[in-house]
Amino acid sequence: MLNIKNLHARVEDKTIIQGLNLEVNPGEVHAIMGPNGAGKSTLGYVLSGREGYEVEQGEVSLNGNDLFEMEIEERASNGLFLAFQYPVEIPGVSNMEFMKESVNATREHRGEEPLSATEFLKQAKEACKQVQLPLDFLKRGVNEGFSGGEKKRNEIMQMILLKPSLCILDESDSGLDIDALKVVANGVNSQRDSARSFIVITHYQRLLDFIKPDFVHILANGKIVKSGDASLALKVENEGYAFLGKEFEEVSA
Amino acid sequence: MSQWLNKVISDARGVDDFLAPMRQQSLNKLETDGWPHARSEEWRFTPLSSLKERVSNESSLDTSYNVPQIDGLESIDIVFVDGVLRTDISKLSLPHGLNLCAINNASTDMQDEISRLFGQVKPSRHVFGLVNDALCEQGVYISLDDNCEVDTPLRIINIAAQDCDAHTRALVNLGENSQLKVIEHGFGSQASFTTAFAEYMIGKEAKLEHYRFAFFTGAAKQVGGSHFSLQERANLNSTFVSYGSELSRVDVDIIHAGQHANAKMNAIYLLAEGELFDMHSTIEHAVPNGTTQENARGIIGDKARAVFSGRIHIHRDAQKTLAELNNRNLLLSRRAMINTKPELEIYADDVQCAHGATVAEIEEKALYYLMSRSIPRSKALVMLNFGFVQELVNAISNEPIKQWLLPMLSERFANMEVK
Repeated sequence: MLNIKNLHARVEDKTIIQGLNLEVNPGEVHAIMGPNGAGKSTLGYVLSGREGYEVEQGEVSLNGNDLFEMEIEERASNGLFLAFQYPVEIPGVSNMEFMKESVNATREHRGEEPLSATEFLKQAKEACKQVQLPLDFLKRGVNEGFSGGEKKRNEIMQMILLKPSLCILDESDSGLDIDALKVVANGVNSQRDSARSFIVITHYQRLLDFIKPDFVHILANGKIVKSGDASLALKVENEGYAFLGKEFEEVSA
Repeated sequence: MSQWLNKVISDARGVDDFLAPMRQQSLNKLETDGWPHARSEEWRFTPLSSLKERVSNESSLDTSYNVPQIDGLESIDIVFVDGVLRTDISKLSLPHGLNLCAINNASTDMQDEISRLFGQVKPSRHVFGLVNDALCEQGVYISLDDNCEVDTPLRIINIAAQDCDAHTRALVNLGENSQLKVIEHGFGSQASFTTAFAEYMIGKEAKLEHYRFAFFTGAAKQVGGSHFSLQERANLNSTFVSYGSELSRVDVDIIHAGQHANAKMNAIYLLAEGELFDMHSTIEHAVPNGTTQENARGIIGDKARAVFSGRIHIHRDAQKTLAELNNRNLLLSRRAMINTKPELEIYADDVQCAHGATVAEIEEKALYYLMSRSIPRSKALVMLNFGFVQELVNAISNEPIKQWLLPMLSERFANMEVK
């Protein structure tokens, strides 16, 4: 599915990712935790192809293809989906228009016919209900005037519609109350199957009570310093990052 | 002085027809004013160097031409190719109340009418308008009788097909309580220089739906204008759509001559590569109770350049005027440029006036967001940035024209270079 080998990447003149290795197989859920500034969000942006995030060295393959050979939209069409921590507001483009273009561009890439207006509407309404957003959110400008929680749910709705093979959730739990968190988690869990993989980036173990990870990785100083199973997240929750060694005490404080 | 202007002046001295007295005035002014100096406000951002030493060739008449069709639009077409009228006007079947004649083939009665209108609406603002006054023998006079409604649009087509100078004029006279639709449709991409001016006298309670498409690209240079005088309770609804070329300029004047007139004007310009487009618009509220709404919106790509000057002049007696002018621009690259100058001159104290200009750039974050959802860059750009232009296209009431413009403009936009 996804194979990251010795990735180094920088933003402007600062190297953030410094030798990161990660292999994600179909159906697996990987959680990535780590102190602020460790490079968690940067990893998501580098993988999605955001401008300004420059790869210095290393290789990444997605479903057997060289990720860095692909444009942003090609990565998405090839199954990569990044749920943003801060989704952008786009007044003037309706959620519906946006998602229809998006779904049909993905279908076109797969060699499928575009969805009819009725079929698309049906799917969009279902996805909307699943993340408990009122249907009139489809008609509103993309994320325009949405609350923080509504934006996060809108991201999950897009994920449900696009059916990607690799979903990266960048702090999809931040700023959510417990009910909203459950909605997001249920949305994610409904999409779990033996073919679809997830990378869940989070600060808090709380989300992982609802989305059970197969692996937990601790990212610090741009690389994975410790990997384990779900119990590693509990350890972080109880002890902070101090157990990683002296140098992390300060970062986590 | 310029070599080109010298030649024009000597040619103009040879023109002798029923418009001679008017022509002479403009010719005198041309000789006095001469070539605009480099700091001239009229041409401050629009270089004229490509014209100054231009050598103009004679046109040959044997060129074939194609008139572009607008699907679903039935129109009465009047075609000029390189400034020469190619439509046999006498063979057109015209709706009741509509009269047409070629300026150089007018009956004595018509000559009187033409003389009364010629140069009355268009101000003698700049050198090329004067050149057109002095030199232009080809043109059309259109008049519509009082109380007549013509639904079929008249389309005045100006084709710049070969490297020559060409000058055309349209004079349009709408009688009281009449209704007319006029499309000025000009295009060309070959090296050429054309001037095309139109003057509209919109009678009391008459209604004009007007379009001007200035699709000159490449080395096809054009300077022209559409000028309107509105009598009492007259109504103007006008849409301008322009591309850019080495030199493309359109002047618009809307003159409220009678009270309670209503003018609405929208302008769109889409400029690519190294194109230049210049729009100078002037709204004159000379009398009370007039209403004007003007929206000009442009997208400027690559190293193209737009010049917009929008002036509203509210005279001392023009109380209760309502006037709005807005100019919005989107720059697609660091080298793209807009010089925009909204200008309000108000001498009445009981008026409502608003004006503004904005310049925006591509929203990289929004673009990335759309692309991260599989939407290709060009499509994403259209979705994000075409909306404000599309809004003006959607405001066009004529359905075939709207359907013709939309795909054409969105395709032009999608092909524009973003850097």
